[in-house]
Amino acid sequence: MITRYCILPFVLFLPLGLLGCVTAPKKDYTQFFSEKPRSILVVPVVNSSVDVDATSYFLSTLSVPVADRGYYVFPINMVKRMLEDDGLSDAAMVHNADPVRLAALFGADTILYVSIERWDAKYMLLTTQVTVEFNYILKSGRSGTELWRDHRSMVYAPNQSSGGGIGALIGAMIAAAITKAAPNYMPLAREANAATFAWPGPGLPAGPYRPEYGKDLAVQW
Amino acid sequence: MRFASLVIGISALASLTACAPTTHYAWGGYENALYRHYKSPQDRSAFVEELNTIILSAKQAGEKVPPGIYAEYGYALFEEGRIPEAKSFFQMEHETWPESRVLMDKMIRNVEQREGRPPSVQPSAEALEIKDNS
Repeated sequence: MITRYCILPFVLFLPLGLLGCVTAPKKDYTQFFSEKPRSILVVPVVNSSVDVDATSYFLSTLSVPVADRGYYVFPINMVKRMLEDDGLSDAAMVHNADPVRLAALFGADTILYVSIERWDAKYMLLTTQVTVEFNYILKSGRSGTELWRDHRSMVYAPNQSSGGGIGALIGAMIAAAITKAAPNYMPLAREANAATFAWPGPGLPAGPYRPEYGKDLAVQW
Repeated sequence: MRFASLVIGISALASLTACAPTTHYAWGGYENALYRHYKSPQDRSAFVEELNTIILSAKQAGEKVPPGIYAEYGYALFEEGRIPEAKSFFQMEHETWPESRVLMDKMIRNVEQREGRPPSVQPSAEALEIKDNS
């Protein structure tokens, strides 16, 4: 799978700009279009990575890109707090609950289940390679069937081979020192979301709060 | 050389526009405030303040408050025991976003049951009845 890195050094922009955002295979949107969902309930994230904090950090990045596709997104923190208060603080329990019943409690058309597969940093001599990997599944709140899914993996490593010479070496050392001190996953996580939900592409067709709602059904890509 | 840097510049710009999501609403610092709230849960007030700021600035600009923000703020007030204020924000979410109505009706009913009562216990989300609703 081809991934895109907007934060890589300039040299990489040209080929990436040409590649654009569309890289995934075609998906079947028949069920999605027949249900015409208006709202998405984003439930807490299941974490299979080694970083215990990743789940809530990643949760904070999901409202904005989903809402920007034109859907009503339920208040993410309120939903999380309500589920916790009801004894569902374990995200895996929420993911395993009956989607139809869960959706009915919130009045949601669909539920977005996200799991983190990887969220780690590999420390190398002159650089730190940060990797994130996510699974996204959207299920119908009416039937419980899967409407859409995506898998995305992204890697960020400051590129040290670009310029050459002592200047590039020092640049790479500084970048490595910064990343080493506090690897910042958030820009990479946001980038993964942006690529995942993008349309036309592998993502979500326009929801009711976008002007092109209902007009992109026939888009072939 | 000049041409090369121009090409690089243009393609950098092009790829940035290609991947920057077009932001539909004025979210302000919502993501960052929520992230910081999760990073240090004891520092909750900055997150709540940011919610208030998003609402005020959207209203000032005559724009729609992003989905969920009225409710998020209402719930924060609810947790603080500021029941009548919480209710008004749940009502605003209800009016602004029809998709929120099932949940907001529950929250408003819950809040109305509490109105007039001192917030002796930390309010919880028992209105949801996740466990009893079998």
